[in-house]
Amino acid sequence: MANYFNTLPLREQLNQLGVCEFMSNDEFLDGVDALKGKKIVIVGCGAQGLNQGLNLRDSGLDVSYALRKEAIEEKRASWKNATDNNFNVGTYEELIPGADLVINLTPDKQHTSVVSAVMPLMKQGATLSYSHGFNIVEEGIQIRKDLTVIMVAPKSPGSEVRAEYLRGFGVPTLIAVHPENDPEGKGLEQAKAYCVGTGGHRAGVLRSSFVAEVKSDLMGEQTILCGLLQTGSILSFDKMLEKGIDAGYASKLVQYGVEVITEALKHGGVTGMMDRLSNPAKIKAFRISEELKTIMRPLFQKHQDDIMSGEFSRIMMEDWANGDANLLKWRAETGETAFEKTPAGDVKIGDQEYFDNYTLMAAFIKAGVELAFETMVEAGIKPESAYYESLHETPLIANTIARKKLFEMNRVISDTAEYGCYLFDQACKPLLADFMKTVDTDLVGKNFNEGKDGAVDNQELVEVNEALRSHPVELVGTVLRKAMTAMKAIKTA
Amino acid sequence: MSLVNIKDLSVCYGAKTVLHNISLVVNPGEGWVIRGESGSGKTTLGRTIAGSVRHSGDVTIHFNTQSPLPATTLFVESWYRFTNLEGDRNFYYQQRYNHQQRRDTVTIARELELFGKEHALNNVRLQELIATLDYTRVLDEQLFEISSGEHKKLQLIKALWLHPQLLIIDQPYTGLDVKSRGRLNELLNAYTGNGGTLILISNDTELPACVNRFAMLKDGRLSTDETAFRFEEKVLKPLPHFLKEPPQYTTQTLIHMKDIHVRYDDKQVLSNIQWQVNAGDRWLLQGHNGSGKSTLLSLITGDHPQAYANDIKLFGVQRGGGESIWDIKRRIGLISPELHWYFDANATVLQSLASGFFDSNGLYRQLRYMQKQQLDELLKFLDLYDVKNELLTTLPLGKQRLALLGRTIIKNPQLLVLDEPCQGLDQQQTQYFNKLVDEISRNGVTIIYVGHFETQLPACITHKLVLENGRSIENNRIATQSR
Ligand SMILES: NC(=O)c1ccc[n+]([C@@H]2O[C@H](COP(=O)([O-])OP(=O)(O)OC[C@H]3O[C@@H](n4cnc5c(N)ncnc54)[C@H](OP(=O)(O)O)[C@@H]3O)[C@@H](O)[C@H]2O)c1
Ligand SMILES: [Mg+2]
Repeated sequence: MANYFNTLPLREQLNQLGVCEFMSNDEFLDGVDALKGKKIVIVGCGAQGLNQGLNLRDSGLDVSYALRKEAIEEKRASWKNATDNNFNVGTYEELIPGADLVINLTPDKQHTSVVSAVMPLMKQGATLSYSHGFNIVEEGIQIRKDLTVIMVAPKSPGSEVRAEYLRGFGVPTLIAVHPENDPEGKGLEQAKAYCVGTGGHRAGVLRSSFVAEVKSDLMGEQTILCGLLQTGSILSFDKMLEKGIDAGYASKLVQYGVEVITEALKHGGVTGMMDRLSNPAKIKAFRISEELKTIMRPLFQKHQDDIMSGEFSRIMMEDWANGDANLLKWRAETGETAFEKTPAGDVKIGDQEYFDNYTLMAAFIKAGVELAFETMVEAGIKPESAYYESLHETPLIANTIARKKLFEMNRVISDTAEYGCYLFDQACKPLLADFMKTVDTDLVGKNFNEGKDGAVDNQELVEVNEALRSHPVELVGTVLRKAMTAMKAIKTA
Repeated sequence: MSLVNIKDLSVCYGAKTVLHNISLVVNPGEGWVIRGESGSGKTTLGRTIAGSVRHSGDVTIHFNTQSPLPATTLFVESWYRFTNLEGDRNFYYQQRYNHQQRRDTVTIARELELFGKEHALNNVRLQELIATLDYTRVLDEQLFEISSGEHKKLQLIKALWLHPQLLIIDQPYTGLDVKSRGRLNELLNAYTGNGGTLILISNDTELPACVNRFAMLKDGRLSTDETAFRFEEKVLKPLPHFLKEPPQYTTQTLIHMKDIHVRYDDKQVLSNIQWQVNAGDRWLLQGHNGSGKSTLLSLITGDHPQAYANDIKLFGVQRGGGESIWDIKRRIGLISPELHWYFDANATVLQSLASGFFDSNGLYRQLRYMQKQQLDELLKFLDLYDVKNELLTTLPLGKQRLALLGRTIIKNPQLLVLDEPCQGLDQQQTQYFNKLVDEISRNGVTIIYVGHFETQLPACITHKLVLENGRSIENNRIATQSR
């Protein structure tokens, strides 16, 4: 199997990277009609499998589960999940041949083996669906030419997919049709119907392509979403310890600070976040974020280049073949950092204090969001896709750090994201060593405004505000946030 | 010496004065009840005594240092919030029917174990309390799986187990069935008998014998004159026009259930239920805590996955026959304590009512002109118009309930499922609400009403289904009452 993206001519690469359209509500007026009465068989009954299936059934569709033989025989959790909820469960042989739509919701690492087992059993003209495109794009698996291949990717963990559906809402979702496998031209209709069945159409749907989804997803999670949040958290904590700030306070400031600070992104983008700082702090954060962008840009570019060329997936798949040796080693190292091992102190920190005493994090986030966005767009990814995979998801990931620090973040995100996150973190820390020497406690640990008179130069403030507001991620963000009329606080992975 | 001594206590929330110059002395061993309408300041007074509210004036508490009882005040909230294992609170009311192979919250047994450890309490006493309140059944369940009545019991068990010198309970009876109320009263008598001092915040009339002192709050002012306590009956305004329209029935039999069985692992929740509800019927559904009432209703409201494994016809359509749960919900107005408990905390009063048009928990869609008109009418009818832009959660509990009741009728549905709609409401509010139900029922709407107390039911009831341990023990038409 060859990396699919690399087999494409440049023109087609750009073409597929550029598929990106925020769909309007009236594209979903047909509801679930395109799948009504069709046999839907979901392979795997884990976090996504169970919850998507429950939603699809509650939307009036016919859902059953095909599990591997061992799972049924040993009555594993996946089997219990499906049978406890009164679904019909069977083996591949029993269920796949009758299926009109087969939804593959097994872990990404297993996709090649699962799809290879399932595909020969699928009936002529059926549809195969994914919730992530890695297998198609990076592993380049070839799907039988009579089959339609679609993707419906909720941008949230399975439990949220279910919770939001039952609340009468949904989670933002990305849909796509694989251009190599749309022999009857029915892919988009089915993907839309499937998306309605999970409730995604209520929360904002982005029509994308397998290629754009994978390349932007990988880039976002490695750099700003997980990588930089990890690096920034560890460096901030270490700096505070070095400067004699109370460890419990430092731990709490870092653990919850990312969540509080990035919460402001949800409502007002980078500008909204920066507006929470005092004027002098805002100008300072702006200046150091410019400095950070200069230092980190080559690293962001390297990640994007390796993702585009397939180099990243090549080395990661090598690690898969090697029993996840690197992944496990890095995971263990992360568990041993001082930040991870210091429990948050029993101190009260008010919302504003997180901004005033952790100006450095606002600078990290501004730099990371803008860099990830700029780098993706330079690589041919459309601004809307880049927005989703950078700014939009940052608060959702920050949430997981607030829950149980970096260990929790890395547990919730996919193995692929986790691997990429460590890769970035390894390279980024040394890169920032000199910069961190210039950082003092006014930026992290103590109130930036303390002992300053709050005066700023008018001209300078106007320039900074202008630069913030006119950044392309802000321009596209303003439009998208408005479009998602009922944007809600939703977690994701 | 007195235990609690309050002098010139005042409490302000922003510009609003909630308690005015209150003075009160509570002596050791006394049993007090504090009454007052929703919003009169009862809960604030309780919290202030417990020390969690900023106030002016003096509140002094002198614990008895010789007593073996913990020298502390415990305030049992009428409404409390628990978190899941990840520290979040983003539950949804249908969650307890969505079985997954994972633990979201701790079990009741574990919760009690942790509480006992924290306060170094004796397990024998716990077992007695569990037995008295009939609580063994739920010990292995997770926090989000139990009903509001069972949560109330959990709070009470903890409080009585701790046995502090001063115990303040806000709405002790909410959600408890008749039997549990009696048992609780016995336990409260024993509590004061053992040297405890009790303050109940409640408008209920069947209080334990140990309650011998009385206070009443009105608009934040306290009076201990028992004769001053009389609720004025609230008169119903004329019903909004849209609620007089008869519902559009598409079939004569709304619900047809045959041999209903629901079980989780080894626990049978419903057995062999047969039930038919016809258009215009007004059913009372009764049974003690845990008898299966809410589970039965969840099969009707599209909230329970086991509906797919049972023989159920709703509005003429077989469950699992390709209908969506939204097709079902469209025809139903639902309220339950759990729906209230897990309702969207960011919704305003207006948004809460409006969400009834879409059967969503919170408002996620644009309203049309006619819908806005209808909302305004209903808000005015319910006396909620002035607070329509306030967050639902900031209103007194009774008002919140009223808003969610408005949510059930806003679309004038075929079927109203009112699962303990008056839970947490005082007598006056309950009367008012039941009159409202009677009034609405004139348009021919079908009703299923869950209520524990014979004296607190609407008059329009025509049928009755009684459950015991998941089985039906009574299922028939009842003698029509005068209306
Ligand atoms: N998690 C998220 O937040 C998220 C969000 C969007 C998209 N996705 C995508 O959704 C897909 C599923 O992810 P998930 O998080 O739901 O996975 P998961 O919870 O780990 O569930 C995987 C399921 O697949 C089964 N399985 C594992 N290995 C298998 C094999 N070799 N053959 C057959 N079945 C196997 C497992 O059951 P048994 O082991 O019992 O057989 C289990 O039921 C992935 O493509 C992922 O990228 C995930
Ligand atoms: Mg109940």
